[in-house]
Amino acid sequence: MAEDETLLSIENLSTHFFTEEGVAKAVQNVSLKIPRKKTFALVGESGCGKSVTALSIIRLIPAPPGRIVGGRIIFNGQDLLELGDKQMREIRGNKIAMIFQEPMTSLNPVFTVGNQITEAIRLHQDLSGARARAAAVRILKEVGIAGAKQRISDYPHQLSGGMRQRIMIAMAVSCRPSLLIADEPTTALDVTIQAQILDLLDELQKHSQMSILLITHDLGVVAERADDVAVMYASRIVEQSDCESLFSRPLHPYTQGLLKSLPQLGLKAERLPVIPGTVPEPLHFPAGCKFHPRCPIGSGDERCRTVEPQLREVAEGRSVACWYALGYEENLKFKT
Amino acid sequence: MSEEKSTISADKVQTPKGRSLWADGLRRLRKRKFAMACFCIVLLYFALAAFIYLAEFFDWQVGPIKWSEQVGESYQKPSAQNIFGTDIFGQSVFRKTLYGAKISLTVALCASFISLAIGLPLGAIAGYFRGLVDEIIVWVYSTLSSIPYILLILAFAVVLREKTLFGYKLTGITAVYLAIGLTSWVGICRLIRGEVIKHKDREYILAARSYGCSNGRIILKHLIPNVFHLVIIDFSLRFVAFIHAEVILSFLGFGEAHRPSWGAMINDARIELSRGVWWQMLAATIAIFFISLALNIFGDALRDSLDPKLRTQ
Repeated sequence: MAEDETLLSIENLSTHFFTEEGVAKAVQNVSLKIPRKKTFALVGESGCGKSVTALSIIRLIPAPPGRIVGGRIIFNGQDLLELGDKQMREIRGNKIAMIFQEPMTSLNPVFTVGNQITEAIRLHQDLSGARARAAAVRILKEVGIAGAKQRISDYPHQLSGGMRQRIMIAMAVSCRPSLLIADEPTTALDVTIQAQILDLLDELQKHSQMSILLITHDLGVVAERADDVAVMYASRIVEQSDCESLFSRPLHPYTQGLLKSLPQLGLKAERLPVIPGTVPEPLHFPAGCKFHPRCPIGSGDERCRTVEPQLREVAEGRSVACWYALGYEENLKFKT
Repeated sequence: MSEEKSTISADKVQTPKGRSLWADGLRRLRKRKFAMACFCIVLLYFALAAFIYLAEFFDWQVGPIKWSEQVGESYQKPSAQNIFGTDIFGQSVFRKTLYGAKISLTVALCASFISLAIGLPLGAIAGYFRGLVDEIIVWVYSTLSSIPYILLILAFAVVLREKTLFGYKLTGITAVYLAIGLTSWVGICRLIRGEVIKHKDREYILAARSYGCSNGRIILKHLIPNVFHLVIIDFSLRFVAFIHAEVILSFLGFGEAHRPSWGAMINDARIELSRGVWWQMLAATIAIFFISLALNIFGDALRDSLDPKLRTQ
């Protein structure tokens, strides 16, 4: 991938939470590259660090107790971690915008939706109140809200979940950001609305040419919408690939387990296979490969229990962090 | 796309016209007849106080501002002429009671605003930023609230009395409301701090930060409007406490010395009662009783209709 095609690149990002019980290493050595105009999916179970990664990008980690302890986040050639508060505010909402999981609680209950959209617009653009309002109406139409002129003076509690998520999206894209971080944008919505919201994101992406960082635990959504995928497990990326090859030939045992546990059309199974065990807590990560206690291959392996494999490129555009993954060792020997 | 657009417009027909949480709360409040009656009583008191201010300003010769006039012998029993009788100087107790409304309400109102002006920003800042700032503010108000309230007000009242502050001489009443206001912001500060802590990690605040709001903007535009109903409820309930505080201060001899106030009247009555003169006591008590009761009932109704957690209707 050529450098200028990369919009955002994260290099060795580590974000830790310094709690009273100890240091929770929520994100460790995460590196990823989000290309321009593409959808990059970050997949993982709850608590694996995907939201923390997203919040680290726009630097909204709750601090204290959270702190970005290392790494670089290069956005358009600029290291976001070196910016001052004011510069960072100019980027938030303007260049990088974010939508959240819970549309029911992401809007301020005491203001009309119009108020909130115009606030987002006027924070970054020098527009008069009336013009900002007109712009807000335009954006509401763009995100598919009928009767935008009337809707603009509604309060959040008058809207359904799907509508609120559209409003959130309207706020997020109001300044034409080049990166939209969508943190589980459809998790709280029912299935029919999910598809509509994802279609809307696709459409907006097409004509405003933004990149989307899609954070989700729904592999179905990933398969349909993403160009590139990174799978996160217990604070690290364990596999990274383009979407097609990940689904056709997963390399990491965790990814394999995830895909196996999906219900498949036409296949009659009494019970879906599951990955045994639970996700380790950030305070008590196992030594070695963090997946080894649940791994079908590595649970008895001495090396898996003691030495953590690093993410390593095994083929063009494919990286994995597993001692037993196809090509991992060969690559190691080749490099050393 | 066209399919879902039609569902949205169908949905639109059902929803009522835009109504804010505030409008909703006030509509609920208006339905409570008894609370509204109490509100009218409170308004009457305020109208009386405002009228006395106007009368003094324009020098209208009406009853309450002629309270110092001698209307008869001293210590006359209540009669048709003087419905609450006269005091030791032969002044009308009724007029004094009316005039006392001005003093009491002025003190309570000014003290409320002072305590709000200190408590609200401190509470919001402590709750939002936490850390060291929070610890300092909590430490200050914990210290303040560990001192017995009456003693603290008394200390402030004594210190402030007849002092000159910024070239302005603190007369009796100013010293009183300053003393009350400066000592009673702890409650509102604590309340706001707690609410802000609760709200600041909500997603809508994170969302506001994600589109570029600064801390100041978040506090002023997003957090305070969301906790402001509590400020209003607290204000209405605390107002009663401030009227009482003024009475207590006057009763203890640290209040307004030269003009009649309800506290001063009760203070006078302390000696008079032993001589069988009860009417000054009665007049002041009735005046305090009705505004306290009305404000308490109204304040409770206000809380019931504005606090989203108590919404049952």
